[in-house]
Amino acid sequence: MGIMDKARIYSPWLYHLHCGGCNGCDIETLAALAPRFDVERFGVQLVPSPRHADILLTTGCVPKQFIPMVKRIYEQVPAPKVVVAVGSCACGGSLFYDDAPENYAILGHPDLLIPVDVYVPGCAPKPEAIINGVVQGILKLAEKRSKK
Amino acid sequence: MVDLIFTVISLIVIVPLALFLGVIYSYLLRKLSARFQWRVGPMLRMYGDLKPLLGTTRLLQPLYDILKLYGKETIVPDVSRRRLFVYSPFLSLFFAVAAIFFIPFPGMPLLSGVPYSLIIASYLLIASILFTILGPVASGSPWAAIGARREVELFLVSELGFVLSLFAVAIARQSLVIWEISSGGQSLYLALLTVTAGALMFVAMLGKLHIKPFDMPEAEAEIVAGPYTEYSGKLLGTYYLTKVFLLYGLVALFISLFLPPIATDVLWLPLYIVAAVVLVFLLTSVQVLNPRYRIRNAINWYLKVAIPLGVLNFIIALAIWLVV
Repeated sequence: MGIMDKARIYSPWLYHLHCGGCNGCDIETLAALAPRFDVERFGVQLVPSPRHADILLTTGCVPKQFIPMVKRIYEQVPAPKVVVAVGSCACGGSLFYDDAPENYAILGHPDLLIPVDVYVPGCAPKPEAIINGVVQGILKLAEKRSKK
Repeated sequence: MVDLIFTVISLIVIVPLALFLGVIYSYLLRKLSARFQWRVGPMLRMYGDLKPLLGTTRLLQPLYDILKLYGKETIVPDVSRRRLFVYSPFLSLFFAVAAIFFIPFPGMPLLSGVPYSLIIASYLLIASILFTILGPVASGSPWAAIGARREVELFLVSELGFVLSLFAVAIARQSLVIWEISSGGQSLYLALLTVTAGALMFVAMLGKLHIKPFDMPEAEAEIVAGPYTEYSGKLLGTYYLTKVFLLYGLVALFISLFLPPIATDVLWLPLYIVAAVVLVFLLTSVQVLNPRYRIRNAINWYLKVAIPLGVLNFIIALAIWLVV
């Protein structure tokens, strides 16, 4: 394993993409970053701009108004990137998702728009589960090579 | 001839050394602020069972961040002024590295003995920060523009404090050569100036390094990532590298100007390290103990506190020059 691959594993930066959830998953996500669990000990940092991120952490079922934003944010993350879907809504749309008749306002889950690499189920998942999801994301990140 | 060869070798050695020390200082900043907040921070010794996957130590965490950024895709926005956007990080890095050539390290005078090295070093530091403003302005993003504007406003006031403290020392020691200042002796009057001008320089460093309460150019809650919003990959990595060199450069400049003769002889090296760690500790304590100022409050604070302190420094320096 080269030094660049190591660096990729050692410093995963998260961008927290909230798309239309109830905020339960967001609270748990922030709890994972707060002093009790403190993922910064493994080099994980929450970054404010998607252009700085390695891991896109999405929560919530995607309302139809959010579709262009979610696509755009995904495209703004430079490769190599990994998407971690946190919570039941982000994994399968939960109670908001219907195949037929289609919900007039809710798309369902972000997998319909962007390729999701890791799913973290739970309503809301515990911080331990989110950290595990991030670790799985890091392992996937290590396999990917940058395009440029 | 021997001197020339020694200088060339030391110029080559100082770049990796400054990078290493800068990375250690940045690590300390992160680790100490984490400990202040009851967090663990990047771990010095990784848990035993995680060592194969996550490495034994994270002492070089800032370096890993930079290396990772160099391995990522670089996105250049269509609306940006491409040339300025792309070249600014590299020019900023170039000036920051050039500035550290003029600041002595224990055992290595480098170029600090050349005439007017104090002015050269301060101009190079200014140039480095100037390109952290120009690049974001060229990116075409409103967040970057707001961040850059805040940076300019902060830069104007903090620079005034920086220059006042530098020249107060220069007047008191009657020299514009960093090496002469840093190898000069100490006296009671000069120690007084060290306290007042050193405090002013410390405050100016807070503004230059974006340490709270003066971190409004990068205010994450308000303006995304401020000046660096549109930067990604190698260009962002270059800016982070510049920050590391700037941190090293400012700490080294502080020690060489205000704590002579620590930055001269190689025997002072342990004391140099202690002084640097104490300085970084003080910077961290200020960072964790303060909320963020609004830009107007910051400017008012500088105008009400820092600038009068600078004038006081000048008076003390003139008194030392004329009387002592």
